[in-house]
Amino acid sequence: MSPFFRLLAKRLGTSLIVLIGVSLLIFAIARVIPGDPARIALGPNATAEAVLALREKLHLDASFLTQYGYFLADLARGDLGISLYTNRPVMTDIAQFLPATLELVLVSGLMMVAIGLPLGILSARRRGTWVDHTIRLVTMLGVSAPAFVWAVVLMLAFSYFLKIFPIAGRLSDSITVPSMTGFMLIDTLLAGNLRAFADAVWHLILPAFALALSGIGQAARLVRSNMVETYERPYIEMAEAYGFPEKRIARRYAFRPSLIPSLTIIGLDFAAMLGSAFLVEAVYAWPGLSRYGVAVILRKDLNAIVGTVLIISAMFLIVNIIVDILVSIINPRIRLSQRAS
Amino acid sequence: MKKTLVILTRNPLSLIGLILVGIVVLSALFADVITPFPAHVGAVVDFANFNQPPHWPNIFGTDLVGRDLFTRVVYAYRISLILGIVVLAIAVPIGVAIGLAAGYLGGWTEYLLMRLTDVFLSIPPLVLAMSIMGLLQPTLTNGMIAVTAMWWPWYTRLVYNIARSEKEEGYVLAAEVIGASKLHIMFREILPNCVPSIITKMTLDFGFVILIASSLSFLGLGVQPPTPDLGSMVAEGAKYLPDSWWLTVFPGLAILIAVFGFNLIGDALREILGVDQ
Amino acid sequence: MTSVLKTIAAALLAATAFCAHANAETVLRLDESPVGELDPAKASDYADSILMFNLYDTLVIPKQGQPGYDPFLAASFESADGKTYTFKLRTDVKFQSGHPLTADDVVFSFDRMMKLGQGLSYLFENVEKAAAIDASTVKFTLKTVYAPFISALTRLPIVDKALVLQNLAEGEGDMKDWGQAYLSTHTAGTGAYTVVSHNPQEETVMAKNADYFLKVPAVAPDTVRLRYGLEAATVRTLIAQGEHEISSQWLPPEVLKSLAADGAQLLTEKGTTEFYIKLNTTKPPFDDLECRLAVTYAFDYESGVKMVAVSDQVSQGSPATGALPVGMLGALGGEPLKRDVEKAKEHLAKCKYKPEDMKVELTWIGEVPLEERFALLMQANFAEIGIQAEVRKLPWALFSEQVSKPENTPNISQVFVNTMSGDPDTLLYSMYHSSAAGTWMSPEYLKDAEVDALLEKGRTTLDEAERAKVYEAANKRLIALAPSIFAQDQTAVFAASNKVSVPALSDPAKAFALAGFGFNFRLMEMKQ
Repeated sequence: MSPFFRLLAKRLGTSLIVLIGVSLLIFAIARVIPGDPARIALGPNATAEAVLALREKLHLDASFLTQYGYFLADLARGDLGISLYTNRPVMTDIAQFLPATLELVLVSGLMMVAIGLPLGILSARRRGTWVDHTIRLVTMLGVSAPAFVWAVVLMLAFSYFLKIFPIAGRLSDSITVPSMTGFMLIDTLLAGNLRAFADAVWHLILPAFALALSGIGQAARLVRSNMVETYERPYIEMAEAYGFPEKRIARRYAFRPSLIPSLTIIGLDFAAMLGSAFLVEAVYAWPGLSRYGVAVILRKDLNAIVGTVLIISAMFLIVNIIVDILVSIINPRIRLSQRAS
Repeated sequence: MKKTLVILTRNPLSLIGLILVGIVVLSALFADVITPFPAHVGAVVDFANFNQPPHWPNIFGTDLVGRDLFTRVVYAYRISLILGIVVLAIAVPIGVAIGLAAGYLGGWTEYLLMRLTDVFLSIPPLVLAMSIMGLLQPTLTNGMIAVTAMWWPWYTRLVYNIARSEKEEGYVLAAEVIGASKLHIMFREILPNCVPSIITKMTLDFGFVILIASSLSFLGLGVQPPTPDLGSMVAEGAKYLPDSWWLTVFPGLAILIAVFGFNLIGDALREILGVDQ
Repeated sequence: MTSVLKTIAAALLAATAFCAHANAETVLRLDESPVGELDPAKASDYADSILMFNLYDTLVIPKQGQPGYDPFLAASFESADGKTYTFKLRTDVKFQSGHPLTADDVVFSFDRMMKLGQGLSYLFENVEKAAAIDASTVKFTLKTVYAPFISALTRLPIVDKALVLQNLAEGEGDMKDWGQAYLSTHTAGTGAYTVVSHNPQEETVMAKNADYFLKVPAVAPDTVRLRYGLEAATVRTLIAQGEHEISSQWLPPEVLKSLAADGAQLLTEKGTTEFYIKLNTTKPPFDDLECRLAVTYAFDYESGVKMVAVSDQVSQGSPATGALPVGMLGALGGEPLKRDVEKAKEHLAKCKYKPEDMKVELTWIGEVPLEERFALLMQANFAEIGIQAEVRKLPWALFSEQVSKPENTPNISQVFVNTMSGDPDTLLYSMYHSSAAGTWMSPEYLKDAEVDALLEKGRTTLDEAERAKVYEAANKRLIALAPSIFAQDQTAVFAASNKVSVPALSDPAKAFALAGFGFNFRLMEMKQ
């Protein structure tokens, strides 16, 4: 196990370096955005003195490196500064908005794997038949429109016309659950309120599915093409010649090896959902972090921009490490060292 | 090339792809001829005929200031295609060059270049593009720059992986032995082996570039009105659902058709050229 | 897959079960643009105003159905010279914390507002100090005579000093952070409603304050959910399905039209806002008066009003008569402004710039999509007299940055301006006084001695009738100078379900001439 941990540590170290790079890049981008953030934050009618005072407080007149230094010093204390958009500490905002996004993205990720993988496997096993063609066509359609188009289409169909799902929000008005984790699914369970849990699930299905659609398509296509490729390998032909049951070949020999490349890409996709969740959050009035991120970019809220991007990037890196670990568990031959570079 | 085309037309899926892409490209090329109201691309208003459902001669209906939606959708393809071509034309060479250098040269070059790539990869694409668009003014050119900035790392990764495995191959070693220059080996020996993967990825990406650009304009950061743009049309139109459905449905379908077409071809190419992930 | 279906079924059952016993208490659901700012000293936009008017009270409030102001938290007030004002406070008012309202609270609220220097504190620039004479008497001393002072007080919410002092967070000086951290998530007012929960991006939930000094009527909503950032299509669907009561005023006219067709009522708020098309008077071609007059005559006012019509009776705009919305002190009666292409051409001929040499940049604010339509309308109107204009979309943040320098300010920009206090001074002074140039309200950079003199006179004239004359004169002078196209008076239109009735927004005799004040939930009536 010790090489495993050593390599894990190495991966974490690399991620930290990348994260510092990200913070520098985004910090630089945020500082050169035109528009005086202090003026924007205080509103058009604020007095000149108040603007000057805030500029001073934010060190806006200091050099870039000095500003970055202040930022790192604050960050070390777990302080990302005050958001000029909500007038609250950025940490408070992130703590409040992140769970909603994470919940959405996690459920989408789950759907992506739970629906995408079986579709891909089925498609590969029936390659060349109409089943295969249909699945490929449908999954391709899923990939071919942006999440916001699906969000709008699904809402129209299932909420407006069929009235099966709610239109917006995370929970019905009539239900209140004490917020403990910020994850509605967990909070409702902690409160022991099954009805509320069902209600939360009911609110989550459409947005999560809209967000997952392109991921489902990607996953299915990847698994299919990887499996099809594996099917052409001599050892499968050999197994077939020996008369192994088709199911066993599919599961053991074709699916497993194709899972690894698929998993890597699915991991990337999953992380990318954190960024594109905004489009869905906007349509379903989902009070998440991506929506907050877009709002703060438009408001040039420097602290919040840097904070949000850093958190999202950190999530992205964490997901990638998790994927790497999963891959190494599935196939111990692929050692972390190879992937680390 | 010719052979590839022939195979493409045989497979039903890729044939559909070819037809769809053909429609998109032709309508973009001949937009002036096939649209009934070419003037409606610009700032024209006709308040006597605004927000009308599809009818003759406005087969897609009219928008909120009375312009023909069909005309605007067809012209919007032009912008989408130009954007796709320009972005890939810039992103691919940059990404490929960096990938080759990192993969073949190794050492510190590799470490630095790949960490840089990681930095760009670990900021979600939309967030990166948005930050850049926020920094610059939202125009078509800046949109292209923003999308390019998020696109090149994917090609770096792709080429880097191939280059790393190829550099141990016999033909590369042989070239090194004869004393071929590093540039020669990178671009003349290794690069040709990456071409099928690159071409396949480009075909697939063409659709995704269009998607990302439309997502950007959904957020109000895309091409500026009155220039027609599919993403902004969907975003703007979505406010008027479900009553004025045509404002969203037709531009949405247009995005779907274009991206779908490119994806079908890309997928088929991947199989024909035997490219793995 | 089957388990998913089962969950759905369970959820559906649960949802229907809920509908059965949900009518004991009344809930009012409405929406506004994000973000909801709870701190009353930072309130500046419409959402913030709604929160402020319900969670806090002010010394005076606007009279219902007529101009003028009534004492509210004050029992009475008087001023001998217009430079000092003495307020006697009511003695029966308690904060939601239980603390009684005292003169100290008023002084603290004023000091806090000025110290933070945000939101609408600029309305009090002319106030030198507030002082407590005794527990229930406050004296405000002004730097100069300032006629709009009483109207400004509708924007000074009174904060519970003792409660804030108990909850100070880190900061410099005696007052540390002045309770900013606390007040961004809590309320410390006397208001008719109290905060149950607050998420600045999602919603603020409010409940009736049982101990309100005026007693909140039983028909007023028990719970209010003020939601933020709902998409137009979402609001449209929610109202149609009976899950939302009042929309924001930001819905496009077409959506309001569909809702009205489905049976929703339309609530309106008039006389507080005007739509101005601003011309940069420092750059060619609009540094020439004749060119400015040409475009003011070329603009098609009637089409502009039609463009935002919702129904035959209701429109988001009505014809403007000048620089002030009809109904406000100093507004001009008589004929609305009209398009006159002949006159436009005459003025254009006298302009020192030839139309073909003009480079006119016509901008609209990205956050206000309706302005794009006005931009396109103008472009077509101007083309008719030979002026070619280029339309450009400008995000708000960039716009407010660009206007700080005359050379960067666009030739034409469009702004909706509302009087924060109901007084013409807050509109005209900030827009056209030469000392106020260079903000989002004044991208004209107008420098005119006569306008300056009139606006200064308006501030210091205490007699109401006299004041009206001064502002009418200023209004006429502004029309002659044409720094802006006075495009139309804006009417805020809200779609509402029939479960609620809001007299202040539907009956002119019960309306208030103060933006957002009609959203006092205690004055609304819920139908079971």
